[in-house]
Amino acid sequence: MQPLANVTPLKPPARAGAIEVNNVGQVFKTRSQDVVALEDVSLEIKPGRFVVLVGPSGCGKSTLLMMMAGLRQQTSGTITINGAPIPQPDPDRVGVVFQEASLFPWLTAEDNVEFPLALRGVPKAERRAKAQDALKLVGLDGFGKRHPHELSGGMKQRVSIARGLVQDPPVLLMDEPFAALDEQTRMTMGDELLRIWAATGKTVVFVTHSLTEAVYLADEVIVMSARPGRIVDHLQVQLPRPRTYEMLSGDAFGSLRDRIWRHIRKSA
Amino acid sequence: MSARISATTLRYLIVIGLIALWELLPRTGLIPELFLPSLSSTLVAGWTDAAEYGHALAVTLYEVVVSMAFACGGGILLGAIVGSLPRPRVLIMPMVSSLYAVPLVILYPVFTVWLGIGSESKIAFASIYGFLPTMLATAAGIQTIDPQLLLAARSMGATLSQRLVHVIIPAAIPTVLSGLRVGGALVIVGVVVSEMLISSAGIGYLISRYRTILDSPHVFAGVLLVLFLAIAFNAAIRWIERKAAIWQTGTRAGQANDEIASSAMQPAT
Repeated sequence: MQPLANVTPLKPPARAGAIEVNNVGQVFKTRSQDVVALEDVSLEIKPGRFVVLVGPSGCGKSTLLMMMAGLRQQTSGTITINGAPIPQPDPDRVGVVFQEASLFPWLTAEDNVEFPLALRGVPKAERRAKAQDALKLVGLDGFGKRHPHELSGGMKQRVSIARGLVQDPPVLLMDEPFAALDEQTRMTMGDELLRIWAATGKTVVFVTHSLTEAVYLADEVIVMSARPGRIVDHLQVQLPRPRTYEMLSGDAFGSLRDRIWRHIRKSA
Repeated sequence: MSARISATTLRYLIVIGLIALWELLPRTGLIPELFLPSLSSTLVAGWTDAAEYGHALAVTLYEVVVSMAFACGGGILLGAIVGSLPRPRVLIMPMVSSLYAVPLVILYPVFTVWLGIGSESKIAFASIYGFLPTMLATAAGIQTIDPQLLLAARSMGATLSQRLVHVIIPAAIPTVLSGLRVGGALVIVGVVVSEMLISSAGIGYLISRYRTILDSPHVFAGVLLVLFLAIAFNAAIRWIERKAAIWQTGTRAGQANDEIASSAMQPAT
């Protein structure tokens, strides 16, 4: 029963958090025609990496994320997490953080964080202890008794992250988690997320519309094209960590962001 | 000049004012006692025949409680089915919606033919009367649950029954309660109106009987009882709302709390 914050990034369990996507395709059948949402998507994500998916609206990046979460099945190809397929959600392997609205408004922050544990019948005392650890990790120590409507947007998203981490899964999937936040909160939350990631050593896959956010957070940025969604570029972000605000105006940062933007402009 | 009176105080003042008017207007002769008997004579009339009113209240209460059980139980059950399954929704909803526009009271004479003029016909009528809004609200409540919440629950490994118990039901409670508020109020209306039309007992019957003999104080004593019944019901629903849906503190209260949370980190009430 290791506290979350003590899981160091230096010694991740063997293969824990590895994601492999092989020739994945997704076709939506509508009455008039078949829409190809994803076509021949392959990628490999190594344990402990911070990978960001970007692309124009409707490129299927969220769809791909939902498949990695086991919330949706691909039409063709395979996805494995820790070497095994994911036919349905598996909170032991994958935690998911959604956009702001997904906290249960009738539960307090700590009850929200405990929710996935309660579903599996974890005893109350153990649940509470784990939820406290997770809330402490995201910087919300002492806010456990608040309801979501008593928390700011950024705090709500911290609770979501705590909920995603409470079962200590090797992989954390994040679907535009900061999209509803204002610019300043968004920057702060980015730094917070990097701190949490460094403290836990999770593999993070992060979907966003913001190119700046993508480059700022990522080890690797995967750029997708508009429908049918394909991977058009896979950038390594070599900027040193910890990332700082000053890097945003640097040349290295700018050229990475330009490269992504050129891809997106071309396909949109 | 900033001695502003709070809305609550103002409300009490208005109520007190109305009560005072009720007493003063008939007493000063501005309104004939036949049209509006003074509050005191109404209370005296009610007090002198307390046993009769008590019996009538018991009958009415019994009919209201049973009708509410039918209307709310049936409305929630059917609303849940209709709200969660698309097929019955397509079949039933248009019918229910158009039925809602029909003045159902026209059915009441038919019910008395079928069920007699005792409590059964009132219960049948009031149940159907209160059933429709409860069902419509429940269906709407289930339909408008944020799909993100269900997706999040699924991502945490919630089974279908866990999603029903831990997500769908708590998420639907506020809408269902507002449906109960309307449905329950209609049940009271249904019972009292049907008692006034064709009946042999209950508050509605007393009001109707005293009206035919132009005994205004006794009529208004009955009216007062119905008024208290409705207010008590409303208070009960409010109490349940506060208990069950503490998070749904109304949009404005919610926003205010958001502001408190984001600006100063002090505990919101």
